[in-house]
Amino acid sequence: MKFTEFLSDRANRLMLGLILAASTAFFLHATGTQDGIIILVLVCLSAISAAVQITDFLKIRSRLNELEAVMDGLDKKYLFAECLPPARNAYERRIFRLLRRSCKSMAGSVSNAEASRREYREYIESWVHEIKTPITASRLICRNAESETGRKLLRELSQIEAHVERVLYYARAENPEKDFLIQKVSLQELTSEAVGNHKSLLIQSGMRIETGDLDYAIYTDRKWSLFILGQLLQNAARYHGDIPHITLSAEPSGNQVQLLVKDNGIGIPSHELPRIFDRGFTGSNGRNRGGSTGMGLYLCRKLAGILELELSITSEENCGTTVTLTFPAVKPDKGEMQRTM
Amino acid sequence: MQKIMIIEDDPMTREELALLLKNESYHPIPVTDFTTIEEQVIEVSPDLILMDVGLPDKNGLALCADIRRSANMPIIFVTSLDSVMDELKALSLGGDDYITKPYNIPVLIARIKAALRRSGVQDEPEILEAKGLKLNLVKGVISADGRNIELTRNELRILAHMMTHAGEIVSRADLIDTLWEHQIYIDDNTLSVNMTRLRTKLEMLGFFNFIKTRRGLGYQL
Repeated sequence: MKFTEFLSDRANRLMLGLILAASTAFFLHATGTQDGIIILVLVCLSAISAAVQITDFLKIRSRLNELEAVMDGLDKKYLFAECLPPARNAYERRIFRLLRRSCKSMAGSVSNAEASRREYREYIESWVHEIKTPITASRLICRNAESETGRKLLRELSQIEAHVERVLYYARAENPEKDFLIQKVSLQELTSEAVGNHKSLLIQSGMRIETGDLDYAIYTDRKWSLFILGQLLQNAARYHGDIPHITLSAEPSGNQVQLLVKDNGIGIPSHELPRIFDRGFTGSNGRNRGGSTGMGLYLCRKLAGILELELSITSEENCGTTVTLTFPAVKPDKGEMQRTM
Repeated sequence: MQKIMIIEDDPMTREELALLLKNESYHPIPVTDFTTIEEQVIEVSPDLILMDVGLPDKNGLALCADIRRSANMPIIFVTSLDSVMDELKALSLGGDDYITKPYNIPVLIARIKAALRRSGVQDEPEILEAKGLKLNLVKGVISADGRNIELTRNELRILAHMMTHAGEIVSRADLIDTLWEHQIYIDDNTLSVNMTRLRTKLEMLGFFNFIKTRRGLGYQL
């Protein structure tokens, strides 16, 4: 608070003081008091009044600073009213009471919103959990039937599964709680599991996959990374060109390993590249081919952000797309990771 | 035959899983009474247990801890709960592996094999034999009458699949599926090339028309 602000707040009272001083001087003068004494009285009065005003100002300023410090120290600002110091006078008490009422209602709304958000997420998770049982059963039925129809149904089931996975990861990415686990993962196993998960879609699109040297140990959450890789493979399978082809390769760079997923698909127009990670952006390719939700890459970017992975895409129309995913790694330790399967 | 106990409450999944394991030449024992699982385990003494975490009466995790008190066969959890905490809990309570639904079926089978191998009861054949031809899976060599020829990885996988399904018609799609399961990502044309090379090698050992082409259906040994 500035002194001028304080003065303008007190303008009425100062004016009243001046009027009182003037009328006192006039009264004393009229009753024949010596001018010297009048001046002395006025000087005394002004000095006392100034002293009172200045102490008032200092008090109010230090009080405001104290309250501001409380506010600055708070992580959740809406809990301010709960952390107020004891009121010093009746006026403060009333103001604080009003503040508390307002903050209480606010905190109520916030915690309601948080609870319903958490419940929604829990419902989605349990729904996904439930839907997986019939999907698993259907998968087994198709597998045991071993016919062309079974194979076709398996492909459709993979599609359903991919959609279900996206719902699950959307719920997780939008409400991030710490439910991932960074651990040492073999890049080789990660990629072969991702390809295995999307085998039927990839085979159906006539894809050939070449793998370079992937013998690296990286640090990441296995499931989330599998999901991200899966989205990239699905995109490559969906937007393939003639004689479709994917190359998976890795390059070490310092304490990191870059995984490159390179396809020879139809590519992305350069003016659309800056927007491909936007939520719900489908682009001309998505619109032309249909079935695009605009969620895949959005989720990839979001999850990569939470896992602190770098995700970048370069593309040339009619030539292909290269996605680079950068994982933290200590250093390439060849042959140390034992293959478990 | 190795006995695998299936503890799973969804009847459809249970039956189909049993059928799948039977086709993979295991002896499946599906459990239908979930109140006396411990007794059943002791009575049957399976070589491996596949266990769902969410069971009607009791949590699979608690059950696993109970079974562990009296038996130490491998236990693989099969569940649709896929959070990190669930997995850690399952493994710390004595589970040997943890697979999430909907599982990739080849992965499930591979994990079962790996768990059995670790527990020392797996007797996977090293050498396949059909119509006088021997295939050594470890060395990647075919032999007959004392003569050997080395195969490439792709040829080895194709021949191994044909020999384990001797007499059956194997479609091209089946072969491609199998190869992809072994991280050999080839397309239809490459399969034809590999098949031709494999046949040439077989002919060098005197096996003419060893793999027959069944037009419109696939191949047959």
